[in-house]
Amino acid sequence: MKTIKASGIGKPIDRIEGRLKVTGMAKYATEFPVENKVYAQAVNSTIAKGEIVSIDTSEAEKAAGVLAVLTHKNAEKLKAFEEEMPELGTTTIAPVLQSNKVHYYGEYVGLVVAETFEQATYAAKLVKVKYKEETPDIHLDKSRAKAYKPTESSDFSRGDMDAGMAAADQTLEATYNTPIEHHHPMELHAVIASWNNGKVLAYTSQQMVDNSTIVISDTFQIPKKDVRVVAAFVGGGFGSKLNTDRHVILALMASKKLGKPVQLTVTRNQMFTNTGMRQHNEQNMRIGAKKDGTLTALSHETLSHTSTFQEYQEPCGNVSKMLYKVPNNLIKHRLIPLNFQTPCSMRAPGEATGSFALESAMDEMAWKLKMDPIDFRIKNDTQIDLSEERPFSSRLLIECLRIGAEKFGWKERKMEPRTNTNGNWLIGYGVSAASREAPYKKTSSKVIISLEEGKAIATIQMDATDIGTGSYTIIAQTASEYLGIPTEDVTVELGDSNYPVTPGSGGSWGAASYCNGARAACENAIAELKRKKNIPEGEEIALADLLKQNDLTKFEAEGTAEPSEEFEKYSVFSFGANFSEVWVDKDTGMSRIKRMVNVGSAGKILNPKTAYGQIIGGLTMGVGMALTEQTKIEPNFGNFITRSFADYHAPVNLDMANVEVIFLPEEDKIANKMGVKGIGELGITSVAASIANAIFNATGKRMRDLPITPEKLIMAKLEPGVES
Amino acid sequence: MRPFTYTGAKNKEQALQSYSPTSHYLGGGTNLLDLMKEDVERPDQLIEVASLDYKKIFQNDKGGLTIGGMLSNSETANHPEVRKNYPLLSMSMLSAATAQIRNMATNGGNLLQRTRCPYFFEASMPCNKREPGSGCGAIKGMNSLHAIFGYSDSCIAVHPSDMCVGLAALGATVEVQKPDGSTRIIAFDDFHRLPGSQPEKDTNLMPGELITAIHLERPEFSEHYYYLKIRERSSYAFALISVAAGLQLKGGEITKAGLAMGGVAHKPWKFKEVEKFLVGKKPDESIFEAAAELAMKDAKPFEGNTYKVEMGKKAIVRALSQAYARKS
Repeated sequence: MKTIKASGIGKPIDRIEGRLKVTGMAKYATEFPVENKVYAQAVNSTIAKGEIVSIDTSEAEKAAGVLAVLTHKNAEKLKAFEEEMPELGTTTIAPVLQSNKVHYYGEYVGLVVAETFEQATYAAKLVKVKYKEETPDIHLDKSRAKAYKPTESSDFSRGDMDAGMAAADQTLEATYNTPIEHHHPMELHAVIASWNNGKVLAYTSQQMVDNSTIVISDTFQIPKKDVRVVAAFVGGGFGSKLNTDRHVILALMASKKLGKPVQLTVTRNQMFTNTGMRQHNEQNMRIGAKKDGTLTALSHETLSHTSTFQEYQEPCGNVSKMLYKVPNNLIKHRLIPLNFQTPCSMRAPGEATGSFALESAMDEMAWKLKMDPIDFRIKNDTQIDLSEERPFSSRLLIECLRIGAEKFGWKERKMEPRTNTNGNWLIGYGVSAASREAPYKKTSSKVIISLEEGKAIATIQMDATDIGTGSYTIIAQTASEYLGIPTEDVTVELGDSNYPVTPGSGGSWGAASYCNGARAACENAIAELKRKKNIPEGEEIALADLLKQNDLTKFEAEGTAEPSEEFEKYSVFSFGANFSEVWVDKDTGMSRIKRMVNVGSAGKILNPKTAYGQIIGGLTMGVGMALTEQTKIEPNFGNFITRSFADYHAPVNLDMANVEVIFLPEEDKIANKMGVKGIGELGITSVAASIANAIFNATGKRMRDLPITPEKLIMAKLEPGVES
Repeated sequence: MRPFTYTGAKNKEQALQSYSPTSHYLGGGTNLLDLMKEDVERPDQLIEVASLDYKKIFQNDKGGLTIGGMLSNSETANHPEVRKNYPLLSMSMLSAATAQIRNMATNGGNLLQRTRCPYFFEASMPCNKREPGSGCGAIKGMNSLHAIFGYSDSCIAVHPSDMCVGLAALGATVEVQKPDGSTRIIAFDDFHRLPGSQPEKDTNLMPGELITAIHLERPEFSEHYYYLKIRERSSYAFALISVAAGLQLKGGEITKAGLAMGGVAHKPWKFKEVEKFLVGKKPDESIFEAAAELAMKDAKPFEGNTYKVEMGKKAIVRALSQAYARKS
């Protein structure tokens, strides 16, 4: 008989590591007690393109406490890229200080290592670099001729787009812009790197531990087995910590040279230039529809930029392949190499930005058709993923829209803009649909069961990370469920490359992958213990009794879970709907979000409390994307003039609304055995569109360039009778 | 941060005696320390003055209120006398920064806040204010946050303070200790300066002078006042444009007006002509619109900040309307 199920999956329990975090006991990268460590500070380029003519490090070397100064002149040779413009992946090498070429403003050109952090920081300012400057390419608009198609899969088409547009009663063409944005997790990127007799130990803030060992071993050309990476706690990543970036390599180079552990923390300012970003996307949309709302054509063409030496393409158009039933469909992605760092994945890459364009354009078309935007979306719903020609494993988008409409009070909305006002305020309602792929990847874990004073306790180990999402907690809940012991008797140990391999945290696959991995180990343990004693599989027996019958006080088992063949025959997605009520001040152009309703169908919700936290976080980031966040480029020098939290405006509490989050019950066993789907990225998806659509409903102005700031609304003229 | 020495001044005399041209008085440090970390300010000595005994608020002999230079912004804005008789000052101060920053920041320090111009903050960019003679990056660069009034070929930066906009509308004087131990009084309008050919100088303070008090005039806008701040997020953001408006009304007519704007010039921009124009008028929307037109008629925006002219007009009408409608 199972002893307890009360604390297993599905319960809104507090984070099991919460106490460690609020008491400061949870160890983030630079909080590990490493003896004898010294401190490094990187030196950044102050031009966007050109060559280093000379570097004078003499003054820095003479400064108090300085142990070494690394530049391209004395840095060791690292593995170089084997091709031109290699694609950036999460295992891509990160060579640094390998030449005198400068590719972007803020690129690392040196590293100062000193006894203390203060000494390193000061001495870094004493390094004098002379450049031969070239005119950088920093303008997407002026460099259109350099646009290229990155890969074959950058484009997609079905049917005949032109014929679809010709067959339409109503057509729309519009261009939407989303600016450069930065992830800015609360914890700065940081590492304590030790190089000891050819063996590496790196305490570093990363989302993917195993991939991090690959990057380090490949970059330095050393065996992977000699690299250990520890990321026990990670203070947010949002995609910026998927890649193992150059600061990790820099710290290791310094440690190898000095024979001492080196701590390097990337500054908040450097986090604008050295740890990835979301690039500016210009998305052109064309839609054709019949009078009754039937879509006849949909195209989504994206122009973005990558660096001049590496390729990253955000798949903005992918959402337009699969969300609606449209026979004629054209998707294109083009890149322009510019003198900025290589962009990288940022929360819901593709969906967050792509859904802004698609769901704004859908709203524009609904308005043209004088059709309710929810009815318009429902009219074009599909249970088949037309881009893959396979069914969705489960798709409750219509339910999300309908239930959300009910909760939000959508029927109170007036379709005509500017008809709902209150004093100086123009009030609007907006809706948008959300979809996010719910991947699931091969994951291994180990369970260690022991008997203590007659009670069975368990420890789960895997190299998974908890980037603030709640991984520790849901893994404990899973073990509790499958071992039949209380959650408080489960210990979870994560973020160490010595543990069994997982895909790490990214792409919303963490919850499904980690929990199924833990499940597999627990199921294997129970099965093995039963087999040893010839206990029938179906017989219920408490774990403690099972150990006792086996005369064991300790038992270990490993398990691996991976997608089934069935999984490959379906498209597996989470779906959602966002509703926003936005008030726009007609005189000041300031917007206030009054309330938001988010409905999601994301499979089995393992812990409603941490899941709610994920959605709230996503919505907040969506509000930032819609109204406040942008990284501004200096038009002559190519540096970012937003360089701190004072001028990069992440939303504050007052910017947020009253939020209602609803999870629809969903049983999707095709997704995986536990029916778990990701929600880490669903929350941000299409939020910006629901806000922009609400602003149209409030003001009659289509705001197609994010963020929608007071300046832009003032320039759009909010007086009555001024047409958009 | 570059190495520096630290002197905790025990009294005024020690503070003044410790001063040298390469040292800096330290109040709450909410701006100065940031700038030191950015390598923009490079003092070799910090003289801590925040704990000096200039922390009182009291009635002065002119019927106004005197506010200590070392008192925190929070204590000042929330003081019962300030709230009751100078709610415009309180409102402007509470719209600034965050509660934590206001708790640290001193009144004297607030007056000495330096611009948020991004060229000033980035040591590798040209900026005449940071490095005289290096040029102004903003004029032909990113100038969306910059001045539309009173700028020069050398500098188009704006003053970032909210408190100072409130003080400009109210009318005030600043009392400073001179290095020789004597004091001098500076009219608020003369305290900050326009950039001219010396943008490195934000104020007319002489080297070594220490702000010890702000004297407010007899309260005139305690009933009809409003501070409107337009910004890119709801809190913890500098103003794109802000307006401090105070009205005194008798028998349905405006008998005195105070009007100043932030985010548009190298100093809090006081509309003296508009203040005069409003006197004797019956307050209504059309008068406020006429006042806004008059206020903004000399605005000369750059490519990136044309929005400020329209936004400024609307902000003035709104602030005056709110001040008129308000009855505290």
